[in-house]
Amino acid sequence: MILLCGIPSEPPLALVREALAELNACSVAFNQRCFADMRLSFEIAAGIAGGELSMNGATFRLQDFTGAYLRIMDDRFLPELKGQPPDSPARLSCRALHDTLLQWSDVAHGNIVNRCSPMASNSSKPFQAQLIRRHGFDMPETLITNDPDLVDDFLARHHRIIYKSISGVRSIVRTFDKDDAQRVDLIRWCPVQFQEFIEGENVRVHVVGSRVFATRVVSEATDYRYAHEQVGQAAQLQPLSLPDDMAERCVELTAGLGLSFAGIDLKLSPENRCICFEVNPSPGFSYFEAHTGQPIARAVAEYLIQVTD
Amino acid sequence: MWLVLCHSGDVAALWLYNGLRQRGLKPLQLVSAEVLACSRLWEHRLAAGHTTVDITLHDGRAIHGDGLRGVVNRLVAVPMDLWRRASPADRAYVLQELTAFYVSWLMALPCPVLNRPSPLGLAGAWRHQSHWVWLAARAGLRTPDYIQSSQNPIDRPGALRRRSPPPKVKTVLVIGDRVVGGQPPGALLAGCLELARVSGSGILGVDFADGPDGEWTFVGATPLPDLRLGGEAALDALMIALHRERRESL
Repeated sequence: MILLCGIPSEPPLALVREALAELNACSVAFNQRCFADMRLSFEIAAGIAGGELSMNGATFRLQDFTGAYLRIMDDRFLPELKGQPPDSPARLSCRALHDTLLQWSDVAHGNIVNRCSPMASNSSKPFQAQLIRRHGFDMPETLITNDPDLVDDFLARHHRIIYKSISGVRSIVRTFDKDDAQRVDLIRWCPVQFQEFIEGENVRVHVVGSRVFATRVVSEATDYRYAHEQVGQAAQLQPLSLPDDMAERCVELTAGLGLSFAGIDLKLSPENRCICFEVNPSPGFSYFEAHTGQPIARAVAEYLIQVTD
Repeated sequence: MWLVLCHSGDVAALWLYNGLRQRGLKPLQLVSAEVLACSRLWEHRLAAGHTTVDITLHDGRAIHGDGLRGVVNRLVAVPMDLWRRASPADRAYVLQELTAFYVSWLMALPCPVLNRPSPLGLAGAWRHQSHWVWLAARAGLRTPDYIQSSQNPIDRPGALRRRSPPPKVKTVLVIGDRVVGGQPPGALLAGCLELARVSGSGILGVDFADGPDGEWTFVGATPLPDLRLGGEAALDALMIALHRERRESL
């Protein structure tokens, strides 16, 4: 039995649920929006975790879940909590449920996609970059500073640079332009991350266990996720076959970060550099699957039901 | 240069700073989180072959990552006093950015750093009690049965979640490859070292309950223990750990 955690209508979770059904695998939905009707408890005895999940009048033993897919949305923004003050009983109860789920994920037996703690590496991009580098990937030259003069020098050296958030907060990657140069003094308040812009082909690699799905992203945008806004045209996605050694490095990187499923952002430069920008531990793969037909959800489902020791 | 990073109220850090000085560790500087937060210059560079960290404090003191020989890192959080007048949303964003930045530059230092940062904590991973119990069991330590429910009042301390509150707690310190303090039974030493290893902690405080049967049961662990509990032996172990060879460049 597989536990699917998140909002059931959200595309990645819905696709995995469908794939599990096609495989005749039984799944149970932990619907975040129904938090008020759920109870979760777990216990650890001699290093083994067990427990119970109760919802909709049914109770499930946690040890009967041989796999779990956690595609959790930020519970603070659930529609059911709209208008609630930060310390309302509903919010606190909802938070306690999610805390318990995430803490269980770190100690649960079985195929957990992904456990909570290893996902944290994505909360500091330059930290994660240092881990990525150990796996043989190149990285863009990066400067994090609060000194405008250093930014000027960095720009002069690379001619085109971008800036983006340091943390896991989602930000739009932008090219540093004349308007930014006018306000660069503001960085004195808080260091900002700048990177050389690298020409080349964007590639998103989804790794599921030992399986690899690579997608070429064709776009002129600095951040292809916002291609329509930045260049007036959506990115085009095409399946891509990676060289074996590069695919192996992607698998090793994913495992090395303690993940079983990841979305890896690469850029392949004309000079044959293979640059890795970041590893997303909870990739929204449905966009890529819808445009390429790559069976990523099926691979996740097969990973979840595979037998482990 | 050797460095102790701590918050201004960290009495245990002041104690170890004085202890390390008396043992001849020099030049040794103590830099508080509050001073660090007001730094005049931050310059952190990353590239395929190298990583650098350069900081100029507001009083002109300079910290060059390449010039550091060892760091005792007891930073818990990035002080946000400079941002107290900002909107809550801006403050929350800046806190995440600065924390992510600190995790990276502390990780990038090429010298021994005790403890190295983790995305789960600046001075090493702050793990939930459930995770510590699970890890301790895997490390071979005797652990209590643990239970947690989404129905627990979330403002209660973790100790209330344990089925049997410990009668008396003893703290054992793991510093590098040494175990000091607490006088644990010999059989526990390997388990403590293993727990430090699997949790990635150069320094780890491990709490045990000394039960009526004489057996020590794991209670909890922290990457930021009060090293004074280990006395002179803790300082000796710290000296050894800090003098380890520079690690390979990341």
